[in-house]
Amino acid sequence: MQKEKDIIDGCLSGSRRDQELLYRRYAPKLYAVCLQYSGNTEEARDILQEGFIKIFENLSHFSHEGSFEGWMRRIIVNTALERYRNRYYLNRVDDIDEVTEPMAEPDTDDFAGLEAYDLLNMIMELPPKYRMVFNLYAIEGYSHREIGDMLGVSEGTSKSNLSRAREILQKKVMMLTGVTRRLVNV
Amino acid sequence: MFEREPNIDIVFRNGLKNLEVLPPADVWDNIPPMPVRHSRLRTISGIAAAVAALFSLALLAAWYTRSANPAGQLSEMTIASGDQQAVRVDRSSAVPVNTTVERPPARPVTQTEVALPAGEQLSILQPDEPVNLIALADQGMKTEKEDARLQIYPDDVVTVISSGRLTGSEEKLATTISAQVNETMGQRFMVGASLSPAMGLSPSGQDMKLSDLMNGERSKPTYTTGLTFGYKISDRLTIHSGIGLASMGQTITGVDVFAGLSDFYSVKSNYLYSVETASGVILAGNTDLYLADNNDRVSSLVQGNMADPSKYPLKQVGDDIQQVFRYLELPLMLRYKVIDRKVGLNLSGGLAYGFLVDNSAYTGEGSDMVRVGHTEGMNSHNLSSQLGLGMEYNITSNISFNLEPVFKYYVTPLSNISGPLYKPYSLGFWSGFFFRF
Repeated sequence: MQKEKDIIDGCLSGSRRDQELLYRRYAPKLYAVCLQYSGNTEEARDILQEGFIKIFENLSHFSHEGSFEGWMRRIIVNTALERYRNRYYLNRVDDIDEVTEPMAEPDTDDFAGLEAYDLLNMIMELPPKYRMVFNLYAIEGYSHREIGDMLGVSEGTSKSNLSRAREILQKKVMMLTGVTRRLVNV
Repeated sequence: MFEREPNIDIVFRNGLKNLEVLPPADVWDNIPPMPVRHSRLRTISGIAAAVAALFSLALLAAWYTRSANPAGQLSEMTIASGDQQAVRVDRSSAVPVNTTVERPPARPVTQTEVALPAGEQLSILQPDEPVNLIALADQGMKTEKEDARLQIYPDDVVTVISSGRLTGSEEKLATTISAQVNETMGQRFMVGASLSPAMGLSPSGQDMKLSDLMNGERSKPTYTTGLTFGYKISDRLTIHSGIGLASMGQTITGVDVFAGLSDFYSVKSNYLYSVETASGVILAGNTDLYLADNNDRVSSLVQGNMADPSKYPLKQVGDDIQQVFRYLELPLMLRYKVIDRKVGLNLSGGLAYGFLVDNSAYTGEGSDMVRVGHTEGMNSHNLSSQLGLGMEYNITSNISFNLEPVFKYYVTPLSNISGPLYKPYSLGFWSGFFFRF
């Protein structure tokens, strides 16, 4: 298998073959990220396409210092965020600083039987504002302040949306796994 | 202490970590070919190579012009043996001149001196004057020994003092001088390759913090390689320039580096860890690495409520960090011949302008070397001064070898973060082979 650096160098020298190789190698993983942020396949496909154009345009700036996949993922996430802001920011319905009480949750062992596709579907079914906050906080690791800046909402709204997203996901997980036991959150 | 993360977050993060979904087939068809761009280093190297090539061509062109058209320079200087003697002195003339002196039969030596006045193009020794080559005198010209190097330049005025007929040894001397004059009078240019290994040293001055930082750092061997061009201003003074690559750096000890963090912690920024050093702050752009130390050098952006990397099963890949800086240097040096013999002594000094072309931080050795990141706050330009006193060995009349102890001091600070105190210096040897033409 061709090395990642060789593929990148090939892309930079203008080799269309290497560009396709790079796309084929990473597109499946990045498309999953697109689905996670978009909620439907149409939008996910647009994010992937737009994201890959940006990846190729900025490939010469990749410094080989960190993970290449991580670098591409950031571009895809930023592309998804941009689209979200354009689409939902002006039409947002509610932006209430409401923090709900943390609810009890099952142990991780109770989710052992869940497939990745089940988890993806659950996230995709979330309302956009909950989905974005959950992805950015729980998956990417951003703080509420950063998320607030990115999405143009207050820190409190970010917390509130996260709490609501967790609640919805938890219910879905429990329905799917049949777990009804509720444990006190630590 | 780190806050415990809700289980639902962990379930989704770990569950989706390696998920792959095949995208629609037509996405690739709608992605246009990427534009071809060159990296900054490649561009700088290209410009440097072009400058070096142009400079070389200019030198070659000047040399060719001198060879092809001797008018305007020393047109000719021939000291022939036997019954003929030609003396050509003034180089300011554009007209080549040959002078032939018919020698009369041997007469008693009368020690008549015939000097060529400055500015005069031609002097003819009268046939009735006794001729006998007894000396060649000029600015810096040496004929006391047959192996002495003869160096005559376009503006030199050569005076021949002669009397009587040439003796056998004088004929030999005259022939030698003639050959040397023809050989050396055009050798104004020189080109060579040089290598200058050195050991870097850094003054910490009175800055306690800088001093503390430097206690945990070791200088790496410094070296400069390059192509040198020279032009002789006079028989003793030469101006040198060229292009070189200077490499320097240091080892930061006591920093443990672990790999595999990205399997557990999703990356969101350009770097997660920073390491404070005497020459700036290393930003660990490789977000797969977890850095730790006991000296408060390492700072982390990893949020306590998100992860605790020390609890992950990571693999240690190094226990130090090596900072490397490479500069493209353009020197301008003056070299003075203190002793001009086969084994000579030179005094040199000058300045070099440096462009930062590589700024890297690594850990590990050889094939296990892992890039950590780069040092923030490095100045992209610097100015260094250099002073040396060394030996020049003339292997042939065209080729020489130089070995010169050199002291190098950075006039401008390398880093704009650690303050103006950080101006390292180095002691090393400048060595190289040079070809004169």
